[in-house]
Amino acid sequence: MITIDHTGCVICVGCASVCPFGAVELVGTRMKTYSEKCTDCGLCIKACPANVITLHKGIKDVKDLPAEARKKL
Amino acid sequence: MAKNGYDYDAIIIGAGPAGSTIARLLAQNGKDVLVIDKRKDIGSPVRCGEGLGQREVVAMGLDLPKEVISTPIVGAKVVGPNGKEIVWRSKDTNGWVLERKMFDKWLAELAVHKGAEVRAYTRAVDLVKKDGKINGVRMEKYGSDAHDVTAPLVISAEGMEAHIARKAGFKTVHNLYDVDTCYQYEMQEYEHENLIELYFGNNVAPRGYVWIFPKKDKKANVGIGIGANLAKWKKNSGIMGADPKILLDDFIAKNPKLRDASTLVDFGGVISVGAPLDKFVDDNIMVIGTAAKQVDPIHGGGIALALEAGVMAAKVANEAIEKGDFSKQKLFEYEKVWRAGPGKKVEKRLLLRKVLENMSDDDFNHIFNTVTQQDLDLVMQGKFAGPVAKVLAGRPQLMGVLKALIS
Repeated sequence: MITIDHTGCVICVGCASVCPFGAVELVGTRMKTYSEKCTDCGLCIKACPANVITLHKGIKDVKDLPAEARKKL
Repeated sequence: MAKNGYDYDAIIIGAGPAGSTIARLLAQNGKDVLVIDKRKDIGSPVRCGEGLGQREVVAMGLDLPKEVISTPIVGAKVVGPNGKEIVWRSKDTNGWVLERKMFDKWLAELAVHKGAEVRAYTRAVDLVKKDGKINGVRMEKYGSDAHDVTAPLVISAEGMEAHIARKAGFKTVHNLYDVDTCYQYEMQEYEHENLIELYFGNNVAPRGYVWIFPKKDKKANVGIGIGANLAKWKKNSGIMGADPKILLDDFIAKNPKLRDASTLVDFGGVISVGAPLDKFVDDNIMVIGTAAKQVDPIHGGGIALALEAGVMAAKVANEAIEKGDFSKQKLFEYEKVWRAGPGKKVEKRLLLRKVLENMSDDDFNHIFNTVTQQDLDLVMQGKFAGPVAKVLAGRPQLMGVLKALIS
């Protein structure tokens, strides 16, 4: 799954426009991720102009994230 | 009042230039239309350089009010990898840098004024179907539950993300090769001459360029766009990718006129520079503007094309509503007109983009060294032969590149 550092996100929806799986979407005023759809492919990270996306390979559930990443959610 | 028990004659998703234009034109012909936009504030956040050519505005019959224009543009300055400049100035205004936020809001207001209903901060969740046919949109106003709104025609003007069009089977996902990743600052103070400035070079902006768009009060949009498929930078999680911000900060640090300027706004964006969708319509649905990837493949600009598509689609949608015929055959009339007109131009520009991205800094330098102000004036008048012959005399291998430019 991926996490997005919302403080630095410029809400350009670039990640959503390149994600082949619909695993990220603009909801309200911030990007929302759907970990169940994410395949850890990293395309969103390559495209992100603000470099605010982090990949957590193999992790499917928020509760399994490292504490540091959970704080930023 | 919409016909045949529907809530509206058409639901338009997205209140950008395309969506608001088609809403205005349908409403002024007495059609009952709803426009929804997921953004809290229509027009914001801005994701682009905000430039718009004058020809397009005149062609659309739009009379831009003062508050949507930041500053007029009177020409262009193009700078090569070797620092050589080519400057072209015209006597008159040939475009504007907009206050995009105000521009989008103004277009939405025009639509409302003609009778369209606009709802901001309302997200399209899914398409509603009846007997397998699109029959409306499930939408959600933030803070309340999702509900279904019916209409026989859904128009996706969703922009880059286009997730509802994707659900309807359109291939709206962008591949990395066909997008540029961009970063931009609004800066002050920058002494500009009301020229669009473009800086080329593989060290400045690989497969792209740095732009400086003048704005009022010595402000400027300083931005960069580079190929998103470039993988020269180590990004988060150790993934290699394109990082426009690093290059832009570097450009600014090396530019004595910008080095000490303030940054007022940070923008980012991913823009489409690829081919339009392979289809724009299906039964009961039309896709217009950037959602249909109707974007200039050289500079990624979408405003002018969105306005144009809005006008073309409105004509067909109007007839469809009047006849009660929402089949893809009927709606295809819009696609046909688009492909025969702006589509042809976009196709050529796509070819040119692919040629340009294969040019080396050496090739660029040769052109910048050879072309003079006089040559440029000729080119602007559409007289290519002289300047092209001059460039080719020194570098015949550029033949292929220039052929694409003038064909």
